[in-house]
Formats: sequence, C-alpha cells, structure tokens
Amino acid sequence: MITFANVSLIYPHSIKTVLEDLSFTVTEGEFVLVMGSTGSGKSSLLRLINGLVPHHTGGILAGDILVDGISTRNVKPGGLSHLIGIVGQNPLNGFVADRVEEEIAFGMETLNMAPEVMRKRVEEVLDLLSLADLRDRSIATLSGGEQQRVAIASALVMHPKVLVLDEPTSALDPIAAEEVLSILQRLVHDLGLTVIISEHRLERVIQFVDRIINIEGDGIAVIGSPQEILKHSAIAPPIVQLSRALKMPAISLTVREMRRATQDLRGSSIARERESLVNTSAEEVIRISKLRSVYGTKVALNDISLSVKSHEIVAVMGRNGAGKSTLLRSISGIQKPLSGEVSVLKMDPTRLKGRERAASVGYIPQEPSDLLYGQSVEGECRQADKDNGVAPGTTYEILTSLVPNISPSVHPRDLSEGQRLGLAISVVLSSNPKILILDEPTRGLDYAAKSSLISLLKTLANDGRAIIIATHDVELVAEVAQRILFLADGEIVADGPTVDVLLSSPAFAPQVAKIMAPLPWLTVNDVLKSEL
Amino acid sequence: MTHRALHPLAWWIWAGSLAIALAKSNSLLLSASVVGAVAIVVSKKSENAPWAQSFRWALTMGLWIVIIRIFVGITIGVPTYGRAIFTLPVLTLPTWMVGIRVGGPVTFERVSATAHEGFMLAAIIALLGAASSLSSPHRLLRSIPIMVYEFGVAVVIATSVLPQIVTSAGRIRQAQELRGQTSTSWRRIALPLLEDSLSRSLDLAAAMDSRGYGFSRKRSRYRPNSWTQREFLLIALGVISLIYPLVSVVTATSALLLAPGQERP
Repeated sequence: MITFANVSLIYPHSIKTVLEDLSFTVTEGEFVLVMGSTGSGKSSLLRLINGLVPHHTGGILAGDILVDGISTRNVKPGGLSHLIGIVGQNPLNGFVADRVEEEIAFGMETLNMAPEVMRKRVEEVLDLLSLADLRDRSIATLSGGEQQRVAIASALVMHPKVLVLDEPTSALDPIAAEEVLSILQRLVHDLGLTVIISEHRLERVIQFVDRIINIEGDGIAVIGSPQEILKHSAIAPPIVQLSRALKMPAISLTVREMRRATQDLRGSSIARERESLVNTSAEEVIRISKLRSVYGTKVALNDISLSVKSHEIVAVMGRNGAGKSTLLRSISGIQKPLSGEVSVLKMDPTRLKGRERAASVGYIPQEPSDLLYGQSVEGECRQADKDNGVAPGTTYEILTSLVPNISPSVHPRDLSEGQRLGLAISVVLSSNPKILILDEPTRGLDYAAKSSLISLLKTLANDGRAIIIATHDVELVAEVAQRILFLADGEIVADGPTVDVLLSSPAFAPQVAKIMAPLPWLTVNDVLKSEL
Repeated sequence: MTHRALHPLAWWIWAGSLAIALAKSNSLLLSASVVGAVAIVVSKKSENAPWAQSFRWALTMGLWIVIIRIFVGITIGVPTYGRAIFTLPVLTLPTWMVGIRVGGPVTFERVSATAHEGFMLAAIIALLGAASSLSSPHRLLRSIPIMVYEFGVAVVIATSVLPQIVTSAGRIRQAQELRGQTSTSWRRIALPLLEDSLSRSLDLAAAMDSRGYGFSRKRSRYRPNSWTQREFLLIALGVISLIYPLVSVVTATSALLLAPGQERP
C-alpha cells in the first residue's frame, strides 16, 4: 500500500537531514506505529505519506514514495484526499466548518460529490464513530475526545485506504484515549484500513500495533515487529522496561501476557508498603475551604476544601472539563472564587502582584511558549533575571542544570518540546517560588525528557516546595506524586495517597499496577525494590 | 436541538422588516416591546456558538450610542426653546461657524428628543444583532451564489481564526501576568500571539490542502438550505409588521395625488 524507496529528506535552511535513505513497505490492513524521541522526524515522516511534505513545507526529497501506486512526487496532497486521510496533532486547528455534520461533509464537497452520496456516507460514518447524537453540535463545544472522533470521521468519510494520525491521544484522558484507539483497531480489523500512527505514550498503543517504525535519530530508521524493535530500543513503555528489568527471555506486550509470565513472581513476593515520605518540617502552604467557582456560565468547582503542605507533590486528575484547570487558576489567583476562600502562604492569591506573585506561585501553562517572548534563549534568561531582580546569569544556570547543551543563541520556537518546557520552568524558577504549578506538562514529551522532568520535580519538592500537577499521564503520576486529587464534575471524588487512588480505578491504573495487581506496585522501580 | 435550523436569510428578512417598521413608527414604546420580544426569541433559539453573542454586543453598542447621542445632543447643536434644566458655559467659536453652538442652556425638550433618537437607533441595531446571532455566518455564506464562494471560504477562515486569536490573547496575557509582569506590554503579548496564530493558520491550510480543497473546480453542497413553510411563516410575521408603515406611505401619497390643488412638498 505504501512504499518508501530510499527516501531522504532535508528542510530548507537546515544542514541536518531529517530522514536518510529510508526504505520500507507497509501492506494493506496493517496498523503501524511510528516512534522516536521528540524532534526525530515522526511528524515529517507522516506528512510525507500524503505529500504535505515537501509540497506544503518546502524541502528537498530524494527517493520515491508510492501510495497505492501513485507517486507523491507528482501529485499534490489535494489529489490524494480520496486515498489518504490525515488527522493532525491538534484537530481543533484543522476544522473548517462550525458544525459536526458540515465538517464531516467538507472533504466530499470539495470533490464535488453528489448530495445523495454525501448524505449516505455521512450517516455511515456518524454511526461508525458513534457521533450521531452530536451531529448538530457546534464543534467548539465538544470535548477533546469527541473532537478527535470528528476529525477521524471527516477523514474516514472519504473512504480512504490509508489513515494517518499524528499523536491522536496526546491531549486526551486515559478513557478517551482508550476509546479512540479501540475505534482505530476496529477500523483496521473490520474495513482492512491501513493505519499509521505516531505516539509518545507507547503504553497506550503498543498492544494494538502490528509493526513499528523506530526513528533512532540522525535520520536512521528501522522497521520491524514490536517484539524485535522493543527488545533493544532506547525508548520503551513501562511494560517493556519491566520485562527487561526482570530479564525475561521474551518481551510481552499486553498486560495479559505479562501477568501470565509473572505469576510466580507475584506469588512469592510479599506486599511491602511503599515508603511514605512524610516530612516533619512540612507546613501548610495552600488552604482552600468551601471554594465554589464558575467557568463561563457553568459551575466548574463546587464546595472544594483541601490543604497542601510544602515538600508535597500533588497530582490533580480527572476527565477533560472536570475543573482541573479552574482549580489551578484559583490557586494561582487569576480566577476569583464565587464563594469560599483560597489562601496561599496565608495570603489572598488574587491580590498578589508582580514580583510578590512570582516569588510565591510559579505557574507553567499548558503551552509553555505563552510565557516566552524573547528572541533567543539567552535574551529570555536575561529578561527573567531582570524581572525578578536576581543576579545576572541565574536563570541560565538553572536552565543548563535542567537541559544541558542548550545553545544560548537559538530562538525559543526552534527548541524541542522538552527543551522549551525546560526553558519555561527555569524562567519561573528564577524567582524561587514556594509553590510550583504545572498544567499538563508531559504533552509531547518523550520518555527521556519525562524522566528528567521527574527527577527535577523530586529535587524541587525535597527543597521544600509544594508542587501541583494537573495531568492525564498516569505513568508520570505513579512515578512522582505522593498524593492524588481526583476531580469529577467540579467535585473532589478522591483525595489520598497515590497508591490507593490509582489502584482503586482500573482505567487510571498504570501498566505495572495492572500487571502486578493485587500487589500495590506502581512502577518498575517498586517491583525491583521489592525483589531485592 | 430537535428542529433543523431555519434558513439564515429568513431570519434576516424577519429582523429587517421589523427594523423598517420600527423606524417608520418612530414609537419608543413599540420599539421597547419589539426588542423585548426579539430578546426572548434570541434566548430561546440561539445556539451555543461564537456568533450567538452578537445580540449582546449589539445591545451594549446600542447603549453606547444612546449615551454618546445624548452627550452630543446636550453639548453641541442649534438652540431649541423650552424648559431649561441647567445651563452649560458657552464656548466661543470662530465666526465662520455660524449657527453651531457648544454649551448653553440645556432644555428638557432637547434631552428627550436626542434620547428618543438614540433609543430608536439602538433598537434597530439590536434587531440586526439578533438576526446575526440567530443565523450562522457559515450557513449564510452557503446561500450565497457559487461565484463568490472563494471569497466566502476566506471569510470562514477569518471567522474561525479570529475567535481563536481572542482566546489565545487572553491566555497569553494571563500567563505573562503569572510570570510576575505588572504591566503587560504590547510586545510581550503580540510576539507569542503572532507565533500562535501563524502556526494555527498553517495547520488549517495544511488540513484544507490534504482534504482536497481547491482540487476540483466545482463544489457540491451537502444539505443545501431549503425554504419550507416554517421559513415562509417567519417571513410572513415580519412582513405583517410592514403593513402599518406601508399603509401610511400609500395613504400619504394618494392624499397628495387626489388633492391636485395642494402644493407638493
């Protein structure tokens, strides 16, 4: 179905090849995962398939790409729209119409299809993706998972032979992600569709895919079965890390296989309590009582009471729209509560201003680039030093300890996701805030960037800061958080130690916990520690 | 929403004819009750969409118009006689500006007349705002002939990117505030905003490109807007309101025609 023959790619104004001499064939009905660290060229590879690269982006392409016998060299992306459906990283940016039905029909309208054909196909695809109830809704009012389904529907309605998705679950909570991926699997099995997907959170997709293309960096890519690739790959999901750590002969990819393989281990081990790090010098830094808050016209938080101590890492979890962001905004003082009280370091956060605010609460937004406006990394750091009245060079020092080998002259936009997050964190940390708030920090981060974030957060908490993270990433929570606040519909439905909360909900349990249940182990390290 | 949305042009004709009737009647009481009725229709019928806010914007704008109109009416203008409420100091103007006076006595008649004009204007703007909040601009563009469709698509992109820019600007300003900026300068918001909207527009262009936009010369339409009884009923309601102004115009002209002895104005 798709053939890459000696493909090399280089972008304009660049001396580094993105891909080098890549050859592979994907046959019809295969489910293929493209993996690699951030900035390795996953998106470029996906966009090569329908010719968006280089027709839309520029660049030099060597070799040839054939999709169903058509070379992308001569045909523009529009000419392949009946053959390839592509769903971008952020579907909201790609929507053209304002209603679900009209959005789905857009592609067919551009190809001048007859109205009767369109009606029939729209109905089909609405049923296929369970969107029938949403057909008249305005797209802006849909949840992230629903938007992703609409984007898939508008690609599928063209009856493509190939579906390409760029990180389809990165913004979704575990349940919505599961839903999207199981739909994809059904499409592969029922319609014989060829699906190519890229994803950072391998633990979500690994059990579904037939083959993996692993971009190892420096343009080198290998293709093979998941077992072959994951045996030695630099990046691996927790389930594979566990197989490797336990020195198992073969790698298991599903929880079921892994549970069978670890039966003896689970039987012989004694459940040992996870060490709880209760710091005696901890003091209360945030106190919220009976907080009610609205978002637009909707009640976003209802009767929330909680307290956070220093040295504590708290994860705020819950579905999209459960009120996580509103809670973070209330703590940081940009959202005035309707009733109830929020006190941060015994002060009212809405009254904090300027340096005083920066020194008490540090906030990393979902888009770290919102904080940045400098023309270079160096300029950004200098500005942060000046704003916070610290010695020149302080911010850059923090940055180099977080992200070594960062070039000071580079523009913040040209950094990788992980480096940009590192820069935003160092800018915020330069004012030495007592409380650090991160909104969805691991979106688009690979495992290496994530593990350096984890060790950073642990050090910061040891220094006496309180850290609050809103996230969908259960693996991150399992590694780093001591306590979880679980929100649903603006109310706290669970507040307790990480082990208790994560294990009580199967959907939110991390992979290792699923394998090791009923033993209360969440991470590979937990298992290894108990082994010794 | 259980019903199919009404044809956008039907809403515009309905609101337009109500606006004409109001302008012709020149009655404040009638305008207030019509705007009130329209407000109820808007709150019942409009959907949760960005353009649904335009009625509220129109009302705010109308209020400003009333305020500005009264202010201008009080300070500038030809003197009108009547009961003076208070007197403003008179500004001496150059001699060539004969007949215009700034300041001077403010009469009750003058204030009520300008307020009346302001409120009538506000009522008409509110009706137009109601029409635009009841009909999706995208649907309206679909009813426009295919010749200007290209133009229409450009408008669609602009209307979908613009609200996003507004939300991004708010988000960025807040983030900067949290970084400890007391005075958020224009530059600090504009740069990230420009990057953000540029990448969004590129995403949108790529998405349209890969969905075959512009590949075929002709475009078909999914579910063209149709005219049914409900649309005609709505238009009829609007047109009925035109009867009074029409009748008054007709009687005025026929009175003129039937009385040849009188001088025509």
